[in-house]
Amino acid sequence: MNIQDKDKFFEEFNNGLHRLGRFTLIAGIIILMAVPFAFGVIVGVMPDMPAFLKGWINVAVVYFPVSVVEFLVYAPMLGAGGSYLAFITGNVTNMKIPCAMNARDIAKTEVGTPENEIVSTISVAVSAIVTTLVILIGVIMLVPLQPVLSAPVLQPAFNNVVPALFGALGLKYFAKSPQIAVIPLALMCLLCIFVPSMISQTSILMIPSGGLALAIGFILFKKGKL
Amino acid sequence: MSNYLETVNCLPFYLIVAAVLIFVVAMCVVFLVKSYKAGIALGMDPKDLKKVMTSSATFTLLPSISILLGVIALSGTLGVPLSWLRLSVIGSLQYELNVAEIAATAFGLSGLRIDEMTMSAFVTIALVMTAGILGGLFCSIFFLKKYLGKLSSKPKKTETGEKKPSFGDHATTAMFVGLCAAYIGSYVGRIAPGEYHDIMPLFTAFVAAIVMAVFEFLIQKKDMKVLENFSLAASMLVAMAAAVVFQLIL
Repeated sequence: MNIQDKDKFFEEFNNGLHRLGRFTLIAGIIILMAVPFAFGVIVGVMPDMPAFLKGWINVAVVYFPVSVVEFLVYAPMLGAGGSYLAFITGNVTNMKIPCAMNARDIAKTEVGTPENEIVSTISVAVSAIVTTLVILIGVIMLVPLQPVLSAPVLQPAFNNVVPALFGALGLKYFAKSPQIAVIPLALMCLLCIFVPSMISQTSILMIPSGGLALAIGFILFKKGKL
Repeated sequence: MSNYLETVNCLPFYLIVAAVLIFVVAMCVVFLVKSYKAGIALGMDPKDLKKVMTSSATFTLLPSISILLGVIALSGTLGVPLSWLRLSVIGSLQYELNVAEIAATAFGLSGLRIDEMTMSAFVTIALVMTAGILGGLFCSIFFLKKYLGKLSSKPKKTETGEKKPSFGDHATTAMFVGLCAAYIGSYVGRIAPGEYHDIMPLFTAFVAAIVMAVFEFLIQKKDMKVLENFSLAASMLVAMAAAVVFQLIL
């Protein structure tokens, strides 16, 4: 395939993914919203609407901005197919993003190329399927498995999955571009030491941190130092 | 009370959840097959694509088990089916627990407490949990195409047909550096005494980083590329085991 054919093929493929993605997400929202009502029909009670609205507003105030930011930051990393899948299957930060980055590293694809989009989509899809299967097997084995996994002695391991992830990934990415990393890392450390309430707000912290890293990266790039 | 837990763990609830999950898995399979075929058509090496699949699967196993633990944690108050659904679709334990707590108080309970739960509270909480985190889905439906279209200014080609380096490559790395910095910063902040004091996250992250450094050394300097697939999962596993040992010593 020459470059023009390739571009055309990929554009059609991408448009197809957008159509399919939109359709399945709309269907997904309807199905998901129907579940609580289906539960209600089975047991003969319906959700309490005033309580729902009150709760939903409280939740939306916190989580809607977070989801918009997550969308803006992660969509470019995941590409079209990867985004549609990641936003419905969840665990974007802790799983889908690192998984897609890891896959790109392995396949050595370049950002912005069709190959990269394909690798991201494949990786997010496989990740989502594996998660669903693991949880399915887990739910089936839940009764016999529960004593082992919830053994108090193992709790520190599972309480610290996310730190383990970011320790390993941090090393990889900080080593890749130490010039970009130094300032955001130092600032985030200082901020969390002097304003302890920020510690529990990592989803908000990543906005200034990511923005700062981007700005530093851009300046270094313009100066030809990357 | 046992009546409440029996009801929220009843067979029809499991069947409803299974049906929803089949839909989601089917969606993933369709995207996977389409992308795989497109990759082959574009001349990508099937070996590379398989490698991507294997590494994504191995990479996902460990965090998936932690999600399973989340299901166990949530199922004590919300039953297995709803917890299973919430954590398989969109949710993460931290979000779901927060949202369930907010919804429970909006319903008039003192919190997400098993001794106060009723079926009416349960379906209301389930609805809030579902509706509260659809933001990402709506953004994707309405804006994804436009947003990605705007971002993907095609890489400029030089006269020789080679790609001119663009900032796009570095932008993703930079964003990810920022993301890691925010997390690591929060672990460093936890060292200070106070409400959030906990040295385990930083300790675990530190061990993971050291193990990863060893892997990177072997991969880059000793040319042991085969380790690439396992470096992340193995670093995490060693760090998590270290966390268990460290806690025992403490």
